Amino acid sequence: MALVEGTGISKRYGGIVALDDVSVAIDRGEAVGLVGPNGAGKTTLFDCLNGVRHLDAGEICFEGRRIDRLAVYERARLGIGRTFQRLELFGGMSPREHLMVAERVHRADGRLWKDLIGRGRARAPVARVEDLLVELGLDEVADDPIESLSHGHGRLVELGRALVQDPLLLLLDEPSSGLDTREAVGFAAVLLEVRARRQTAMLLVEHDLDFVQRVVERTYVLDFGKMIASGRVDEVLADPVVRRAYLGEVT
Amino acid sequence: MTQFLSYAIPGLPYGCVFALMAVGLVLTYQTSGVFNLAYGAQAYASALIFYVCVNAGWPSWAGFLAAVVVAAPLLGLAMDRFLYRFIRSAPVLVKLVSALGMLIAIPSALQLIFGSQERLAPPSLWLPPDSVYFHVAGDAINGTELSTVIVTLAVVLLASLMSHFTQIGLRMRAMAESPRMVQLAGINSERVGVAIWVLSSFLAGLAGVLLAPLFAELQALNFTDLLVAAIAAAALGSLTSLPLAFWGGIGLGVVQELLGGYLPSGSVLSSGLRPALPFAVLIVLLLALPGLRERWFHDDPLSACDPPPPPMAAAIGGHGLEELLRGGGWAVLAVFFVSCLTWVPGNWTFTLTQGLAYSIIFLSIVLLTGMSGQISLCQAAFAGIGAFTCAQLVSHFGISVFVGIVAGGAVAAVVGVVVAMPALRLGGLALALATLAFGLLADNVGFQFPWSGNGDSGVNIPRPQLGSLNFTSGKAFFVLAFVLLIACAAVVLAIRQGTTGRELAAMRGSELAAASIGTNLAKLKITVFAVAAALAGVGGALYGSLQGTVSPNDFNSFLSLVFMVVVVTTGVYTVQGAIQAGMAYVILYQVLDYLPSEWRNLFPILFGLGAVTYALHPEGVVEWQKRRVVEIVVGWRKHPEAVG
Repeated sequence: MALVEGTGISKRYGGIVALDDVSVAIDRGEAVGLVGPNGAGKTTLFDCLNGVRHLDAGEICFEGRRIDRLAVYERARLGIGRTFQRLELFGGMSPREHLMVAERVHRADGRLWKDLIGRGRARAPVARVEDLLVELGLDEVADDPIESLSHGHGRLVELGRALVQDPLLLLLDEPSSGLDTREAVGFAAVLLEVRARRQTAMLLVEHDLDFVQRVVERTYVLDFGKMIASGRVDEVLADPVVRRAYLGEVT
Repeated sequence: MTQFLSYAIPGLPYGCVFALMAVGLVLTYQTSGVFNLAYGAQAYASALIFYVCVNAGWPSWAGFLAAVVVAAPLLGLAMDRFLYRFIRSAPVLVKLVSALGMLIAIPSALQLIFGSQERLAPPSLWLPPDSVYFHVAGDAINGTELSTVIVTLAVVLLASLMSHFTQIGLRMRAMAESPRMVQLAGINSERVGVAIWVLSSFLAGLAGVLLAPLFAELQALNFTDLLVAAIAAAALGSLTSLPLAFWGGIGLGVVQELLGGYLPSGSVLSSGLRPALPFAVLIVLLLALPGLRERWFHDDPLSACDPPPPPMAAAIGGHGLEELLRGGGWAVLAVFFVSCLTWVPGNWTFTLTQGLAYSIIFLSIVLLTGMSGQISLCQAAFAGIGAFTCAQLVSHFGISVFVGIVAGGAVAAVVGVVVAMPALRLGGLALALATLAFGLLADNVGFQFPWSGNGDSGVNIPRPQLGSLNFTSGKAFFVLAFVLLIACAAVVLAIRQGTTGRELAAMRGSELAAASIGTNLAKLKITVFAVAAALAGVGGALYGSLQGTVSPNDFNSFLSLVFMVVVVTTGVYTVQGAIQAGMAYVILYQVLDYLPSEWRNLFPILFGLGAVTYALHPEGVVEWQKRRVVEIVVGWRKHPEAVG
């Protein structure tokens, strides 16, 4: 049984069909790409998978359980983590605090009464958070204000915030956008290491095809809301339909 | 039918003024992304200048030129050039707080310049108010009403022709999408922006001058109510459609007068519901119109290109400074406590005790706005609910005042939950407007009944007694208020340092990301609204018990706005900021009391301008200065050689 299985997903915005009968399936520990031109519906598919948007048709199962009516936070608690194309960081908080809050929420430790009697307070550093900061190379900047960090660090903080919750599935929305080549290569290396250590399943939206090839085994191709191809990255990229839709043909 | 018309027709002039304002609001909101809460103040400015000119013997056309053609656009331009231009892509909270600062500062600044005496019988713009031109359905149509309708129709016709058939109109509409994109298309977006502000300010000025003679006296407060009516009308057009906003304004004016005609005269319903209609309409619209809800998330597609806001001083200050400030704060509090019990004169102890009660109310703003990023413009209403609940329970059931204060907080919390329900679905601007409308409803209707605030006569709350402990004396009550403040501060601190506080900070930073890590935003918002309302309720009940008698006027809706700008100025992120706000509020008021009465206008001006700096100093301009001074002093101690 696939870890996550979306079948017949459709989503419209007014008259525009953003997703038209799209199906995806990702197994445990599998890394899958999702490529396609801008406006193909990639981010919309992400939004449907993690609950930011509701489906017009179709269904999504996670570990065999219907989740398409659950709220974003409920799906997150089941184990769907996510990063964002445009960084969504918590202003005024340090990288360590980003990871801390995610870790607390993960442990479902957010009872108001516990805070009021002083039980909700962080007393000692949390091993899992500290380890992850080191693993991602964020330990040097762990206490800096998030506003002072580079874009690359911001991407890593988003990744760490998702990983600290031990997600079963990680949705990565254009992780290399805004990074220079060296940073992108570094980020891909981090992702590979994360996979090696944790066997987290990943769905990766990305324009940088080198990046995609480095991280995933197979990929989906979306175009105008339709799934036009899926399979091994090199095979898919050689597919004439994909070349026409996405890469453009050299005549 | 005749009766219907005779009730409806007097509503037309009001409707026209609402419509003008609504059109102007939509225009600037659409094109600059700033929801100009100061719009009512702009209308008041022109009305006041017109009044002053005409009373100085100028002919009314000269007054019109000075007030509407010259002064109104100048004021609007000044606001755009020196403030709004810089915050177009800022978060909603920043825009709202800045505009709120102007709304509060401008009327006071004008009264400081022109004097704050009573201004009766405001002059009519064009046709004489005494002459009756004709009768419709038994209504005598006088010059004021006729000229209002004619002028409005002419101006709106011109404006709509301009927006659809001229180059500048097209550019204005493009600006609505994204000022930066317009710029990238090679258009001087600044110039288009200027044109928009000139036009919209002209409409505000015109509306102000037209509205003034419809009331017996020229008062700034009438223009705040006018603003909310205009917002409601603008909401009828989903904040995007100029024609719908226009007809919405007309409709509101007419329905308001119809209600006045058909409801039994003299009842609370007719005296309260009629003026409250726009607010009720606004609340219903916010809840009912899905298009309106999505509209609040509209932002400039290029706003990600902007540099991030500067980190707060708290973030750069480092841990040493943080601890020093915290320790210093406690030390100052201890000295303050001892002083009040020993050498401070009785009348000042009373004033400072008021400050303690206000500090508790202001803690609710720290929790809600500073820690959670939610904006509520009805905290004074929650304070009022706390006070009136306490008063009614004590007088009817004879329970202890202590229990009454706690019950006041509890009832306020329940109401807070009800108000928070829309907050679940709405955010930012919509929440601000919904709470503003709720505050006005509470003020105009809810608090007027004998079983609640009892209108102008108010209600009595005795000082509490606990066994042999008697808190009737000034000093004893001071101790009680002090202890209560410390307890409330401890609650806020515990929330901040606990998991809830971190989740709130995450929600403030990014609701999307907070939800995606598993935070239940709905539950979090309800919780924080309830706790904040409870804090305000406790503070209000304590204030009532201190005063002995409180009326709805002690918790009027305008105060909610003042509270907001005061806390934002002194520091909205920290518990210390709330206490600074409470103290600054009462001390400044008391000091200004010793000065000529005109000087009292300085109070809203100072805090209004303080709020305007929110974009630059989100931690509060006073808090920022305090940190700077402490840093300089500490730095000098650490490195004495750097100074010499």
